[in-house]
Amino acid sequence: MSSLSAVLSEFASDVDAVFLFSPSRGFYESFEEIENLVVVAPENAVDAPEFVELPLEFDNVRDRIRFGIEGAMGSEIVDEGDTAACIASVFDDDSDSLIRVRVEESMRSGIYDLFTNSRADPSVIRDVFEVAIELGKKGQKGKPVGALFVVGDAGKVMNKSRPLSYNPFEKSHVHVGDPIVNVMLKEFSRLDGAFVISDSGKLVSAYRYLEPGAEGVDIPKGLGTRHMAGGAITRDTNATAIVLSESDGLIRAFKGGKLILEIDPEEY
Amino acid sequence: MRSTIGIHAQVDAQTLVEVIPPRAWLAIFVVAVGFILSYIVAVINRRILIRAGVPDTIEGTAFERTARNFGTSTVTIIAKLSGYFILLLSILVALTIAELEYADLFWSGVAVFLPQLFVAVVILLIGVVLADKAELIVAERLRGVKLPEIGLIPAVVKYSVLFVAVLIALGQVGVATLALIILLGAYAFALVVFTALATHDLLASGAAGVYLLLNQPYGIGDEVRVDGQRGIVQEVDLFVTRIETDEEEHIIPNRNVFKNGIVRIRNY
Repeated sequence: MSSLSAVLSEFASDVDAVFLFSPSRGFYESFEEIENLVVVAPENAVDAPEFVELPLEFDNVRDRIRFGIEGAMGSEIVDEGDTAACIASVFDDDSDSLIRVRVEESMRSGIYDLFTNSRADPSVIRDVFEVAIELGKKGQKGKPVGALFVVGDAGKVMNKSRPLSYNPFEKSHVHVGDPIVNVMLKEFSRLDGAFVISDSGKLVSAYRYLEPGAEGVDIPKGLGTRHMAGGAITRDTNATAIVLSESDGLIRAFKGGKLILEIDPEEY
Repeated sequence: MRSTIGIHAQVDAQTLVEVIPPRAWLAIFVVAVGFILSYIVAVINRRILIRAGVPDTIEGTAFERTARNFGTSTVTIIAKLSGYFILLLSILVALTIAELEYADLFWSGVAVFLPQLFVAVVILLIGVVLADKAELIVAERLRGVKLPEIGLIPAVVKYSVLFVAVLIALGQVGVATLALIILLGAYAFALVVFTALATHDLLASGAAGVYLLLNQPYGIGDEVRVDGQRGIVQEVDLFVTRIETDEEEHIIPNRNVFKNGIVRIRNY
């Protein structure tokens, strides 16, 4: 047993920063002496001075850690070459695992950027994700559905697309995150084309046929036209595209023409 | 031996019943009923307040915290107060029944004054709790604003509510409050005038914004010229319109949109 604790103390030595993912209050307080302590959680329930807000409870621990470290790099708590110890929960709600990570520039996958440095408000992006997750879980009458949300830079997106039919959101003032949007979800999935959402979260239009130039869009092969259109529009404009795939049920987020994040709605 | 004591006791009880007039018995009975009633009212009041979610609503207010320090709570205090009120009332009724004439004048005065006092105390209690709650809510709202002077606003709100509560309570027990009411009037007048002056532009923009949002003479994605600025509309909200050109984003108050008119550029 002593060798195990020796290995563990070796494992935890020389770290420049400690990341706690959604710690309980008591657990957080036992760390209070440590310098460079960063709390990554949906809300700052422990009043930690260094805090990175987690917009979604990423089920994938790797995404969660990437997000936290990217956020900490953004506010210059950690730098390239630092070593960080991440304490997160993998199986249950309790913190059950210690992960040692080297902070490198390649850690910047853009997940943090996607939420905080997009044109649209972070809360709007989160709300669209939630709508997409809900839609991905429910589908329509049990059948999987696809959807394409283009968030932010709505003026430009509107000018790079054309209507497929009358816009059902004409003269309406529905915002993502409104409770009514969840009621409209099922109807949403029937509409063809893209949803255009403004920086502040207003549903500007549905039934939009996107017409971006598809050159130089780097998305994985095998994804369909919906992903291609979503990816391409984010290269031509400053928008973010959130795509729910009909074939594999995954949600993918594109920004700057690149695939940034891939999540499975069933895990949320 | 034992039987003689029993007989003696019986006789004593009988003489006791005969000595005390029936009115007094009735009075004692009324007090007893009042006692039970007051207990029941206190319990029921307490249940109603808890059921109505009062403890959650006033959680964290200064009054509640002080009450907690004394090992009680606001709900308990109010419930007990209503209980005491009933008890006092029953004692008054009992005294009337017992016809203790020498105190008649005094008691009739108290009988009128007591309910008023009770209402005044309840109003004061509610006022204190409401003031605390208002302060908390305003402080919570302003927490994002990092400005030291901002702490003044919650305090002003708190004392305004408290002032009104004290006024009503004093009015209830019949204290002359004319001067205080004039003070309140002057205060409210100044508040209205200064707010109207300070937010004059915002109000004008808001009024124009209501029209723009309802009628949507131009929408997101339209190319327009306002104030000599040409660009694509990115966002229209209650107060401002955001118009974007390739490099610049113009944030134009809706007041100006209305005053100077808007040019829609059709490029088809």
